[in-house]
Amino acid sequence: MNRLRRMGKLAWALLRELADESAYQRRLRAQGRRDSPEEWRRFTEERYQARFTRSKCC
Amino acid sequence: MKLLRSFFWAAIAFAAAVCLGGIAIFRGERINSAWLVVAAGCAYATGYRFYGKFIATRVLALDDQRATPAERLRNGQDFEPTNKWILFGHHFAAIAGPGPLVGPVLAAQFGYLPGTLWIVIGAVLGGAVQDLIILFASMRRDGKSLGQMAREEIGKAGGFAATVTVLLITIIMLAVMALVVVNALRGSPWGTFTIAATMPIAVFMGLYLRYWRPAKVLECSAIGFALLVAAILGGRAVAQSASLAPWFTLSALALAGAVIVYGFLASALPVWLLLAPRDYLSTFVKLGVVLMLAAGIALVRPQLQLPAFTRFVDGTGPIFAGKIFPFCFITIACGAVSGFHSLIASGTTPKMIAKEGHALPLGYGAMLAESFVAMMALIAACTLQPGVYFAVNSPAGLVGATPQAAAAAISSWGFPVSAAGMADLARDVGEKTLFARTGGAPSLALGMAHIFAGGTPFGAGGRLAIGFWYHFAIMFEALFILTIIDAGTRVGRFMLQDLLGHAWKPLGRTSWMPGVTAASAAMVMAWGYFLIQGVRDPLGGINSLWPLFGIANQLLAAIALCLATTILVKMHGLKFVWITCAPLGWLVTVTFTAAWQKIFSPAPAIGFLAQAAHLEASLRAGAAGSPAAAVEALIFNARLDAAVCGILLLLVAVILVDSLRLWIGILRGVREPRLRESPFVVSRLHMEEL
Repeated sequence: MNRLRRMGKLAWALLRELADESAYQRRLRAQGRRDSPEEWRRFTEERYQARFTRSKCC
Repeated sequence: MKLLRSFFWAAIAFAAAVCLGGIAIFRGERINSAWLVVAAGCAYATGYRFYGKFIATRVLALDDQRATPAERLRNGQDFEPTNKWILFGHHFAAIAGPGPLVGPVLAAQFGYLPGTLWIVIGAVLGGAVQDLIILFASMRRDGKSLGQMAREEIGKAGGFAATVTVLLITIIMLAVMALVVVNALRGSPWGTFTIAATMPIAVFMGLYLRYWRPAKVLECSAIGFALLVAAILGGRAVAQSASLAPWFTLSALALAGAVIVYGFLASALPVWLLLAPRDYLSTFVKLGVVLMLAAGIALVRPQLQLPAFTRFVDGTGPIFAGKIFPFCFITIACGAVSGFHSLIASGTTPKMIAKEGHALPLGYGAMLAESFVAMMALIAACTLQPGVYFAVNSPAGLVGATPQAAAAAISSWGFPVSAAGMADLARDVGEKTLFARTGGAPSLALGMAHIFAGGTPFGAGGRLAIGFWYHFAIMFEALFILTIIDAGTRVGRFMLQDLLGHAWKPLGRTSWMPGVTAASAAMVMAWGYFLIQGVRDPLGGINSLWPLFGIANQLLAAIALCLATTILVKMHGLKFVWITCAPLGWLVTVTFTAAWQKIFSPAPAIGFLAQAAHLEASLRAGAAGSPAAAVEALIFNARLDAAVCGILLLLVAVILVDSLRLWIGILRGVREPRLRESPFVVSRLHMEEL
């Protein structure tokens, strides 16, 4: 049961990582800021700028 | 305990040998797909446990005591130590593209055996080795890209050639991927409506995330997915509506135009509006479908209908011309060895690795997982009746434009199929026809639909279920191919601006609108030209463009392996150089042979120049059967393809010669074997569970 719960937690953490939600929370923590629409916009601008200048796999 | 472990691994290796040997030796009876799954699974496990671990510990000497860039440069964003399983999923989602799905489906024209063997052997000895060493190299260099590492470790000429090669390869890749989508949606109102609906869905998601519920990506993606399913169900109603269906029944040329316009808009529009939400949705759908396909195959365990070898091993295949060697290998491409992985392995992942030891599951392990996806695609294609498989994948220019002519031609090859049977199948999946749906995507969707609907809990509903799953599979393939097209166009635009900036500085500025628009238009026109060429090709375009893509992809892998060999030579001299030189030698042999044949083969079905000469002769004799301008365009295109092939070969030859000079210099003691690694810093994370 514990193993199942751990796997579920991992799967949820993976989904949050793929969705950039974890990276956003990390940024808020690292910079000591609070969640706000402006903060999210600033975060995504930097994040997408880096992501969409790299090739995608075929 | 040690003895027990030895027995366990001996049993796994034995099972791999028995299953691979069994499917290779026994003939004359249909085999179950479980043999392929067990053979691949056991071979991957053995390769990972022994070969992968050997490279990781003895050759690369991965050291958990050495701090990774994620720890040293931790900034809470790009550089962040991440749990290895989360990062594995992240990395796998990044490397899994349409290549390993489409390539094996096309290569199934030789039968199931050649593809099966190459997917397993190529991945264990080539693809996974390349991914692991490039990931390791980038991790030891603070996450530098392949181009940066090539410049630093090999030389400026090699680095510049690598950048130009990547740009050229990107153009070919975008064209061929767009062609796969166009061929899948041509004359299909259901499919076209579903894919068209993904654009407003993505824009809705973009606005939702920007203005209504910022940062709620998972919530937004769940809504997006629900809307996608609704779009698939709505597509059926659209296809059955006399007034709506004509709006979404588009010719290949019209679809190509739409994809080109989409590529341009996606490249120039703000990323948050279209690209990013599509990317989230595509990633989740991709992972979900891969898991579903694995579960479906495990539950249904379908019989393979295609034989081990078909008569087309002699090079006369209808899907693409050429013999098993070298064309099977360049066709499967990403399922066994993928050059593009080296770009991903030198991107985000190395910046998030918590411990050096994690490079083994991430680099080597994720490639094996991708190879397994290729195996599943091969199984899905081989579960189709051979006549159906060839009817879907053979171009009308070769088998005839009417169902009766096509059915007669395919049946004459020894793969019986009837026009009536194909019409029933088309009706089941909600299409007007399934003849000549070249490109691999429709036959893969058919195979997947049969697996999903044929014995899994998703199969309730009979004909409706088959139609739904066929279009779900088409949506899944088109969704992430279009994600590659939009992101690829944007990336190509940046590469182009980077190169043009050397000639005139303002063109290199990514914030200067005229430069952005011009570079986006140039990029779209470049791949759009090849796409239109493929659409107008009477043989469906796949015959010429997929081999070009395969050659380009494998040449990129050769560049990555040149860099990997350089690093091994600098680390150990000649001692372990065979690890990368063996796959590099094989890839160079395969790609150079394939490219040579594609340029110079005297057979018009294979050689671009022979094809141009043949068309020219027909034109002069007045027997071309098409307007002169159209034939002249085909002649020009065949020569252009030959030139592109030649340029790619030349660029890779430059990198090979540059690398060879360096290796010889190092081994003779003339050149300094200086590795440009970041300095050693003791890790504070090595005792932590991550």
